[in-house]
Order: sequence, then structure tokens, then C-alpha cells
Amino acid sequence: MKDSSLKTEIASLKLENPHILASGILDENGYTMKKILEEGAAAVVTKSIGMDERNGYQAPVIADAPAGLINAIGLANPGIESFGDEIAIAKGSNRPVIGSIFASTVEEFANLAIRMQKYRVDAIELNLSCPHVKGFGSEVGSDPDLVEQIVNELKLKVPVPIFAKLTPNVTNILDIAKAAHKADALVLINTVRAIRIDIHARMPVLSNIYGGLSGPAIKPIGLRAVYDVYRETGFNIIGVGGIETHEDAVEYIMAGARAVQIGTALMTKGRKIFGELNSNLLQFMEREGYSSIDDMVGIGVVK
Amino acid sequence: MITAFIKRKERKTPTVETIYFEWDSGILPGQFVMIWVPGVGEIPMSISHIGREKAFTVKNYGPTSAAIQALSPGDRIFFRGPYGRPFQTVSGRILLIGGGSGMASLHPLINNSSFGLVAARSKEEILFADEFTDENLIITTDDGSEGIKGNVIEGLKKIDLKKFDMIYACGPEVMLYNAYLYFRKIGVNAQLSLERTMKCGIGICDSCSIGGFQLCRDGPVFFMNELEEMQEFGNFKLTYSGKRVKI
Repeated sequence: MKDSSLKTEIASLKLENPHILASGILDENGYTMKKILEEGAAAVVTKSIGMDERNGYQAPVIADAPAGLINAIGLANPGIESFGDEIAIAKGSNRPVIGSIFASTVEEFANLAIRMQKYRVDAIELNLSCPHVKGFGSEVGSDPDLVEQIVNELKLKVPVPIFAKLTPNVTNILDIAKAAHKADALVLINTVRAIRIDIHARMPVLSNIYGGLSGPAIKPIGLRAVYDVYRETGFNIIGVGGIETHEDAVEYIMAGARAVQIGTALMTKGRKIFGELNSNLLQFMEREGYSSIDDMVGIGVVK
Repeated sequence: MITAFIKRKERKTPTVETIYFEWDSGILPGQFVMIWVPGVGEIPMSISHIGREKAFTVKNYGPTSAAIQALSPGDRIFFRGPYGRPFQTVSGRILLIGGGSGMASLHPLINNSSFGLVAARSKEEILFADEFTDENLIITTDDGSEGIKGNVIEGLKKIDLKKFDMIYACGPEVMLYNAYLYFRKIGVNAQLSLERTMKCGIGICDSCSIGGFQLCRDGPVFFMNELEEMQEFGNFKLTYSGKRVKI
């Protein structure tokens, strides 16, 4: 079986395999992104970039959790003005770079998207889902009207594919998914709002108190979101949440995802995870008789 | 989060203290922990004493390190780890090159025959020089208040590097980069322990990355051949926000 069996497409974005580096993990420095692309990731999503430089929160910015990790980095980023060099370095790999952006208004999202496009990103991911920064992320992404305005405006303003990354921290993710229907794909899900308390310090571990839970602990939640949205809408979906093995990736694909993102597993498996996922997925497809990723998309969904 | 109690403290220089604590764990030379002061902050800290009695040696350079120095014997400390790839130990003669508080992570490697090149800003800031015998020690100070006046390279010029089986160095990146260039010129192998802005300590946040490698996980100890392929070494780094700046 050939490596080309792993190819997948999301709108006009062509990927060598379905495994993408998720936003927020190892994607602030261009050299790191380039290395991860060279080690087998089909694409990387950059750290979420805003209009201005932000330091984010003081450490501790991570806390461990059963089968996962809670983080509250706080949207640390150098600001869009300073991020072009990193994208240029990452693009030295000749693989797609997806620019993630966060903002609180339609205008700022449009500004950022235009700048990202000038940096020659291959797609733009809208962070409508960071669970731990006031005025951004999930606070924007919980409002279906605002989500619809942002997505619609960006579809008018920039020609590259627009992906909307949604939050599971809402009553019904389907409402938000439908509001973002003009997006080229939905990215499901971002982290789940969570805290940890240290019983000896008698206070929350994270300096921000609240963070986002990621890792295997949230995989069933991510799967449920992908399943529901795919069954109801048939939209293009990129699945994310707790993927560590090719079996996890297949589960997401069978729930309706056309590609998946990997984040927290970099902590447990290291950068080599992308190469392992690619070869293990190929062997799985060979054993089970699938000739393409497309053959598997949504086949686990009960109509 | 791991908790332990402080046993005792030793003042080493006007800004540096060694803090001993009880922790029953295997830790290797060059590894570090992330130490948390609740309500203040969390910083990486190399472990300077790895025997039955553990200790770290902390320089007062910011709010969290100041808060650590304000703790007393009997107080609780909070940390996670150990993290990082340790120094690879060798048998034979070793040279240890420490700049400022960089001596702390080299401290576990000191033995009867090790040679020390201890660099500091001034006489008062010289760290752990008293653990080397006189004939196995060269001191350099920026202001010339003790030993050779000048940077670590001035000290290196007095040493025949080829008679050592391994060279270990830790200190500010500018010092390490100059030492690296000098080692390359002479043609000797070395292990360098680097320091960069660190947030997660577990290889995912990208704050401490250098040339595609995560310093907290792939390092902090790197060999000469690894440093050679890191375009950013001695050149560029990212600030706490992720902004690229010249070193």
C-alpha cells in the first residue's frame, strides 16, 4: 500500500496525511514548526495570534490531571506584526501552515486574517474557543450571532480556507456549528474548562485558576461533538481532543472527521508521534481494506 | 505536585543560597525541577546536590526566586519533576566550566580530580570554587577582583583542553556560545547545559525551544554536534510572549 493512501483534503487544502499539529502546542517558534512538519505532520496550526503582543499568564501555566493536562497559557503571543518570520521559517518545510487567530470583534478578526494571508498561510483557523481568557476565545465562540458574523465576514475578505475551532463549553455545540456553516471546516473541540487545587497549598495550581483540560480524558467528549455535528450537518470536520494513537484517529475519522489534530500527546509521546501515527494508520488501512481516508470518513455514524 | 520540607539553608554569595530538602527520588546530574511558590510563581531550578541529601542552589533574580530565599527550615516547598536530559557522565578527567549560578547544575559532577573553571562578575559572586583543589582551579572575574580579569575564554586559554575526557559547561548563553566556538576551534567534545525562558517544563509550550529542540525535554544538556545544527543558538531567542529577539 502506498503512502498516498493517507492523503486527505479539507476544502482546497491538500494534506499528505490526516495528522495536523494542534494550535497551542509547539507552534510559537518557526524552527519547531518546521521540525514537526519534517517529522511527519501533514500541517501545523500556529499558536493563536492576536493584534498585540501578550505575555499570557505567569507560571504555573500547566497542571496535571488524570489522563490529561490542564493549561492556561493565556494566549501568549508576539502579536501579528512580529509573527511573519516564524511562518516563513516553518514554510521552509514546504508543507501547509495554518494560521490561528484570536480577537474579540469582527473587525479585528478580519484584520488578522488579512495579515495572516499576507504571510502566505495555507488556511486560517479561528480561535473561538480558548476557555481561559476574558473577552476572547470561548466568550466570543459561545455567541452564535457573533460567530456567524465573524465567519461570514472572513469568507468575504480572504480567499484561503477558513476553519472555525469551537468550544465544547456550551450547552449545544450544534447551534454554534450551524452558525459557522460558511466556514470551510469546523475544528472540534478545544479544551474543556477545568481547575486543580493543591491540597497542601490550599489553592488552585494554575495562576489563572481556570484552564483547559486536554488529553485522553476528553477524547469521548470530542468524539461526541464530531459525531453530532457530522450526523446533523455533514460539514467538513477536523477532529481534536485526546488523540494519542492511530486507533484514536480512526475513531474520530469514523465519527466524521476528515483530518485530526494532535496536541497533548506531544507531552507523552514526543515529536516522533507523527511518524508513528502515519505508519500505524497505513498498516491499519491495509489490514482492514481501506484504500483511502475518504473511505472511512463518517462510516461509524448511525444514520 | 510534589511537596517536601526544607532542612537547612546555606548562604553562598550575597545573591545565592543553597537550600537542602528531603526528597527520596533518583535524580541525575543536570536535571531540574519546576519549583512553585503558591501565590507567587513557578520557575525551573537545577538540582545542585543529588546524593541522599538533595538541594538546589538559587540566585535571587526575580519575585519567585526571592520568595524561595525567604523560606525557612521547616517550610514546605512545592515542585514537579525531575525533568530534562541529564549530563552524560564519563570515566576519566573532567573539566567543569561554570558561569555565575551556572555552577549549580555542574555541582553534582564535582569529584576529587575534576578541574574547575569558575567565572563570575566579581569576587563576591564566585560559586563552589572552594570545592576544587587549588591546583585544579582557575577563576575569572569580569572586574578582575579575583583570579584572571576577563571572561571565561581568558580562563580557557590557560587550560590544555585536550587532556580532559569530557568538558561540561553551564552559564549564560553568550558565555556558552563563545565557549562552544572556542571548543570547535580547538576540536574538543563538550556537553553544554543551556537556559531559556521556560513555562511548561514538559516539552509542549515551545517557550524554551532552540532550533527545533525543546530545551526542557531534549536538553537542557546538549552535545557539540547537536548545537551545531541549532541556528538559534547564541543568536536568537523568544521572550515570554514568544517574540523573537537577538541575544
